[in-house]
Amino acid sequence: MQFSSSLLENAVSEFAKLPGIGKKTALRLVLHLLKQDTGDVSNFSEVIARMRSEIKFCQRCYNVADADICSICANSMRKQEIICVVESIRDVIAIESTQQFNGTYHVLGGVISPLDGIGPDQLNIESLVNRIQKETTAELIFALNPTIQGDTTIYYIQKKLSPGSGGQLPQLRITTIARGIAFGGELEYADEMTLARSLQNRLPVESYVASK
Amino acid sequence: MLSLPSISLLQFKNYTNRSFDFKERIIGICGNNGAGKTNLLDAVHYLCFTKSYFSRLDGNNVQQGKSGFRLEGHFLLQDKPEKTICILRETGKKEFSVNDQPYDKFSQHIGRYPCVVIAPDDAVLITGGSEERRKFFDSLLSQLDADYLQHLIVYTKVLQQRNSLLKSFAETTVKDFSLLEVLDEQLIKPGEYIFNKRKEFFVSFLPQAKHLYSEIAMQPEDVTLLYESQLLQSSFAELLKATRQKDCYAQRTTAGIHRDDIEISLGNQLFRNIASQGQRKSLLFALKLAEMEVLRKEKGFPPLLLLDDVFEKLDESRINNLLQKVCVENEGQVFITDTNEERLKQHLDALSVQYQLIGL
Repeated sequence: MQFSSSLLENAVSEFAKLPGIGKKTALRLVLHLLKQDTGDVSNFSEVIARMRSEIKFCQRCYNVADADICSICANSMRKQEIICVVESIRDVIAIESTQQFNGTYHVLGGVISPLDGIGPDQLNIESLVNRIQKETTAELIFALNPTIQGDTTIYYIQKKLSPGSGGQLPQLRITTIARGIAFGGELEYADEMTLARSLQNRLPVESYVASK
Repeated sequence: MLSLPSISLLQFKNYTNRSFDFKERIIGICGNNGAGKTNLLDAVHYLCFTKSYFSRLDGNNVQQGKSGFRLEGHFLLQDKPEKTICILRETGKKEFSVNDQPYDKFSQHIGRYPCVVIAPDDAVLITGGSEERRKFFDSLLSQLDADYLQHLIVYTKVLQQRNSLLKSFAETTVKDFSLLEVLDEQLIKPGEYIFNKRKEFFVSFLPQAKHLYSEIAMQPEDVTLLYESQLLQSSFAELLKATRQKDCYAQRTTAGIHRDDIEISLGNQLFRNIASQGQRKSLLFALKLAEMEVLRKEKGFPPLLLLDDVFEKLDESRINNLLQKVCVENEGQVFITDTNEERLKQHLDALSVQYQLIGL
């Protein structure tokens, strides 16, 4: 792509660095901004710059926050003794929008994958173990993706919490989210592994009806 | 039953546009080097497995100077006609359909038309490293049991993770053994599953291959086929524990089902070291015919058999025994290529079966 202005070119190449944005879309966005008032555009760039420089990560759960502790951790109405372990902030947003969970979170920042150079030390695992030992946690819910790396991470944390290494709190319950047929899904389109697993871990009808 | 009454090839390898009618159960294909015998067999293989037997890249099968190819086969599966089409578009996109119903995933097609190929390069199965033999048995077992393939995929992924962890151990002084233990546990479940499936399978498969070998060789040669696995001696969990030190040093996993092999010996020496070319070939046939038998039992009808240039380096009596096995004792359709038309004719005449000869 040829540009008559290097200012334009720089802006386009910066936009094109964003995920899912190619050169052409970047150009469209930049040309759109060019049509806006200067004030609006400087406000736009200021908001982005402030977002990046002023945002904080909760010291307790590593979720995004405006203060040292995020609004979820600071909310006394939520059950502080229940921790839901997730991979990223996006998962927090996904679970929050279900409006079904009234506990707290712990954001790991990834899953263990030595192949990608990610070991337990790169993740917020030690802080989770410390947190459980310090607080009176009653339940730990793993809401990780159903992949091999997700499983590795679950087993690893479970091992860290087992009585042999450091002492698991006797009242701590460890669970994972259910895996199976999607809501409104059709059986014939479900992949075989999911269907087989749903059959293995089938539910009594009473609890199925109750959960609806 | 499964048969292929006709096929047409467009811009495939050396064929610009050509159709063939296969009227008999036994099809002999003759021609000089480069006439296109193997290419015709590969076209059949394409329609059975959605890919070439010989080259990984679809683009390699396009006629020189052209772009894209089309293969159309008219199969008969349990007396029902099926029109199977494989198209490689100019863009490099491959399309595959049966009776005008395109597949989303090509893997869904595999197994519909069971097919066994015997080609000269397959000798690596005997002479090559253990990886070749594992590949052969894994693909056979995966066709019989979809769970086997799933476990194999999981095993391979966890193994890669474990190996990179072992590599990273070499770079740091602090070693996180609890992570290694977690990966060990994840490796054990699919590993034990695959081991048990293989062990169970070989109990009947290996004696059968040995029996077929002695029938082709027509003399009691002292061949033994043995399933070799470290898991035969102790459990996978114990193995991983015992080799941990060694694994850290080698920076890779030294124990497991990824090291399994079929040890083949003649007398008390390794078969691949002392066997003659003819003996190797005979053993290859024995393994492939045993594969054919397994597929026949599984599907309820015999697979298509593609024999590419199999007579070279075999003595007359072995050729006869082989043809007796594949043409007379087997009820499925057989395609045989040879450069020497007279030789092929002579051997097929001796069998007193109906056959069709195609000259290229």
